[in-house]
Amino acid sequence: MRKDAFDAVTLEILWRRMISAADEAAKTLQRVSFSTLVNESNDFACVVTDASGASLVQNTESIPSFNGCLPITVRHFLDVIGTKDMKQGDFLVCNDPWVGTGHLNDITIAKPVFFKGELVAFCASTAHAPDIGGKVRSVVAREIFEEGFAIPAMHMIREGEANATFFQLLRAAVRTPDQTEGDIWAQVTALNLMEERLHALMKEYNLSSFDAFADEIHGRCETAMRKAFKQVPDGSYNFGFKTDGLTEPFNFNVTVRISDDTVHVDWTGTSDQVDRAINCPAVYTFAMTSYALKCIFLPDLPNNEGVFRSFTMHAPKRSLVNPERPASVGGRMATGHYLPTAIFGALAKALPEKIMAASGSPLWSIIQTGVDDEGKPTANTLFFNGGSGATANTDGQSCYSWPSNISNVPIELTERNTPFFVERKSLREASGGEGLKRGGDGQEIVLRHSGKRNIGIIFMAERLRHPAHGLLGGEAGAPGEVLIDGNSADVRADHIISPGQTITLKLPGGGGYGQA
Amino acid sequence: MPSKYALGIDIGGTFTDVVVYDGEKQKITSRKLLTTHDDPARAVLEGLAAAIAEDKIDPSKISRVVHATTLFTNALIERKGALTGLLATEGFEDIVEIGREKKYELYDVHIQKPTPLAAKTLRRGIKERLKFDGSILCKIDENSVIKAVDDLVTLGVESVAISFLHSYANPVHERIAAKIIQDKYPKLSISLSSDVAPEIREYERTSTVLANAYIKPLAADYLDGISSGLQKQGVITPLLLMLSNGGLADINEAKRIPVALLESGPAAGALAAAYFGKSEANGNVLAFDMGGTTAKLSVVDRGEPEVTYNFEAARQKRFAEGSGLPIRTSTIELIEIGAGGGSIARVDEINLLKVGPDSAGSDPGPTIYGIGGEQPTVTDANFALGLLAPETFAGGNMTLDVEASSKVLEKLSTQAGLSQQSLAAGIRDVVNETMASAARVHIAERGKDPRSYALLATGGGGPLHGADVARKLGLKRLISPASAGVASAIGLLIAPARVDRVTTVATRLDQLNWSDFEKIFDRLEQDARKVIAATGLDPNTISVTRRADVRYVGQAFEVIVDLPSGPYDINSTAAFLDAFEVAYRSKFTRIPPSGPVEIINARIGVTAPGEHISMHLNNADRASAKPKTRKVWSSKDRAFVDMDIYDRYCLQPGDKLFGPALVEERESTLAVPEGAIARVAEGGEIVVDLDGEDL
Repeated sequence: MRKDAFDAVTLEILWRRMISAADEAAKTLQRVSFSTLVNESNDFACVVTDASGASLVQNTESIPSFNGCLPITVRHFLDVIGTKDMKQGDFLVCNDPWVGTGHLNDITIAKPVFFKGELVAFCASTAHAPDIGGKVRSVVAREIFEEGFAIPAMHMIREGEANATFFQLLRAAVRTPDQTEGDIWAQVTALNLMEERLHALMKEYNLSSFDAFADEIHGRCETAMRKAFKQVPDGSYNFGFKTDGLTEPFNFNVTVRISDDTVHVDWTGTSDQVDRAINCPAVYTFAMTSYALKCIFLPDLPNNEGVFRSFTMHAPKRSLVNPERPASVGGRMATGHYLPTAIFGALAKALPEKIMAASGSPLWSIIQTGVDDEGKPTANTLFFNGGSGATANTDGQSCYSWPSNISNVPIELTERNTPFFVERKSLREASGGEGLKRGGDGQEIVLRHSGKRNIGIIFMAERLRHPAHGLLGGEAGAPGEVLIDGNSADVRADHIISPGQTITLKLPGGGGYGQA
Repeated sequence: MPSKYALGIDIGGTFTDVVVYDGEKQKITSRKLLTTHDDPARAVLEGLAAAIAEDKIDPSKISRVVHATTLFTNALIERKGALTGLLATEGFEDIVEIGREKKYELYDVHIQKPTPLAAKTLRRGIKERLKFDGSILCKIDENSVIKAVDDLVTLGVESVAISFLHSYANPVHERIAAKIIQDKYPKLSISLSSDVAPEIREYERTSTVLANAYIKPLAADYLDGISSGLQKQGVITPLLLMLSNGGLADINEAKRIPVALLESGPAAGALAAAYFGKSEANGNVLAFDMGGTTAKLSVVDRGEPEVTYNFEAARQKRFAEGSGLPIRTSTIELIEIGAGGGSIARVDEINLLKVGPDSAGSDPGPTIYGIGGEQPTVTDANFALGLLAPETFAGGNMTLDVEASSKVLEKLSTQAGLSQQSLAAGIRDVVNETMASAARVHIAERGKDPRSYALLATGGGGPLHGADVARKLGLKRLISPASAGVASAIGLLIAPARVDRVTTVATRLDQLNWSDFEKIFDRLEQDARKVIAATGLDPNTISVTRRADVRYVGQAFEVIVDLPSGPYDINSTAAFLDAFEVAYRSKFTRIPPSGPVEIINARIGVTAPGEHISMHLNNADRASAKPKTRKVWSSKDRAFVDMDIYDRYCLQPGDKLFGPALVEERESTLAVPEGAIARVAEGGEIVVDLDGEDL
């Protein structure tokens, strides 16, 4: 047995200290950002990686997708920019969906951290920009080029000097230049704080690098995951289901192969990529796969690279879950949020206590664009959550974000800041699936356009035809519905809404668990 | 002339403290009784009766009685409040169950939201609707109110909360509904959201008013009961209640908005900390109170505990932020950390040492108490290291099971692969880090720098862990007041009367009508002054502060800005912007690129100072200040070394001692670490300079 580099106390303390640095940064980012996506809806994350881009810690309340994606972006910076071109005071930026979070809207910024002249870590954060230009996640987009302002991996600030051209171009390309730029500066503030904390920690514990710390926590988490894998009988566990798709339904299919202490997740059998913006780049597929496995096998430990290393994944090329450029990907979560549910389904019989039935997710949203009554351009995103799935111990929760973790925007703020008047927001009774444990209920919202000018509306809405399935005898939840003036609306199309028109959203319920 | 006696009463989960201050002798006597959960007033009245009999106190000469209690908080946690109904705008009855839709834990598939205080069957929609600016879109349908309430009363509802959309902008519909209900059911308890928490954000406001309604009948019964009990014992002066914000309220105000009393005990503790830190640290302290199960931490600036306008009660999962019921009332800001003397140490699945948040509490307690505890705790570790000793712990009056304690530590040390001393030192280090980490995040959230504070340590464990926590946070100074064990109750004796009022403005600064804005402040101030007048404090001493919650348009979090005093007019814009930018920069270091400014809430705080109390807590006869020695573990030398042990009751102002040393008193032990110098100050508090600079 190898000698541990840290004892049980020192490692615990270093680890906790690192997490608290990320938490401090998150609180700061949340407070100074302009976008309601960050400060009301929690659509951001702060991460520390080691010098090689391997994840060390993230803020406690961060959302699962970003936890998995952010380290990949940092490694991309290392690949294309290289350590030689990284200096103290640099900030690197990128929103490339294939190495970022799967769509252009999330801007990732990383700051290389130096200590005594050596690169020792990266502080990084991803935040959902208030707007990124383009078609605003419209599924109608056929190629990435239609989806907004693309930022390849590049320097945003070089040794403390901001790249003015970058900001000029960005401001010209987005609908909300002040807010989008303001949020970038908020990220910078948060990263500076994390860096300061890392420096203090290294001094106090006399560390010259994080390598030994990284080895320890990665090793221990990976070992713990593998130990948990070993408890499951070897085998090939398969699960598949259909989702709404476009004209034809999509197939989701997963095979989880467990052999001794290894897990391989194979998405073969999942539908091909489409020329609509609901393709889910492999980075996001990986993040969702990792999230599901961690929920099942190691829910109580903080997340890090050790979790990512404990399993392998295959997503077939040119499929929905591994599209190739220039696929459009704006609504990637409409595909990605199905994935953890598929893995739960596969392992339901083997690990009935550890899984949950399908939730009334993917996350729903409506994006409104246009100009306000005074003629000023506006863009607003509102989020809505369906019911979560039931488990062996608990009924599903009503209107609860899963697998993501996105809050709603309060009605009183919605009515103040957007053209919408909210006519009702209530639980959809009995929309959760029946079972030994019941699925959580969805919700019903009625929005009326109360402004004076036409607005553009884009829906992200799933499970209209294929509801959230139950598991182990539980029944499916109710499917969702989207209506404009009482008539069923095509959610895959963009809509123009005139003053006075109403939009009704009925969010799907979660699946039940076990035979009632 | 100073009044003869002041009485402080603090009911906590375990103990009830009754403290009497004798203004002539400048002396405090305290009594600690077990809380009588079946009838909480009983312990209070017993304690008072004992004080009257034993200390020969004339109850008619008590000129001030202030009370703090955790009873209402416990009623929320244990769900022992009244059957409560909710009237909401039709179509929005479920807001309180839907909540903010966000998980408080990412990876737990069995997670559960907090259950709303009014079940679906007890929520009713009322036909009415306001626009966001407060204008009426649909007039309230009075019949729907009557029908709803008839229904709820039939179901046995004793208390009704009313929360309509945008009522913060215009309370008219809530008030009409209340009037209708009162006329028909005069005995029904009613709470209005526009009254209890007139702030934007429907879920949080509704959650607050519902919590108020839920505890209101209970609070009324309890407060009337204790008030008449005190009168029967001859106390003439009216009972005052401590509020969560550290202010005082008379009994009628407390009965009207009991939800404003939820954090009264901790608020009193923070006030006491502010008081103790005044002379030695200019009042800039982190108040750190470590007990058996939890540690509490709050920020005090220039002698004023920081006040926040939101916190959570009755968390579904203890210590998990976001798992509780949001409460929007002004509250002394503090965090509760799952770290205390009873916190249990264990090794987790990847062989790391974890301490807390599970706690052995006081029952079964740490293993060494020998009353059923079988797990190694922080207290067990402190004994193993010699920091606590059986012969002096709790005045030497407790029989301790040293052998059992040593056994459980040994077992864990084998699991952790550490020597027994390294394990015990490790348990301390981990629990200290837990507290320091929580403190760091909390301080970051407020945009402050921890290094500018002194740590003021109270509670049984505060002085023993304070120095290490302070060093982890980069603080230079630790203050350990005398009689820290009854600090909260002392806070009650010195509390100022404070009334906060808030209203939502939600207007951009460039569109503000300054004369209306001035009228709003004036109205809030008049309302607050009325409440202060009822406390009986001298109205001539009142001071008024104006604040506003301000943000750049598009932000969701407001910065609370101390405003210049009024009256305002159009020329006030520049001063207002200045004040905002100062506040913004102090929190976030930089001002964002550009953008208009928006005022969300206007707030007024009206304060009448409490009585000045001079205390000579250190009234023991000077015996010998010469220390004893005993063997205490030194992490640096990795061995037990002889350490100086001082008896606190023998120390006098001006005495100086050099770390490493321990100072023992009945309820706690102060650890002065290696390299530090401690001095006994005039008021009896011990000030420790952690860098060893002579003070």
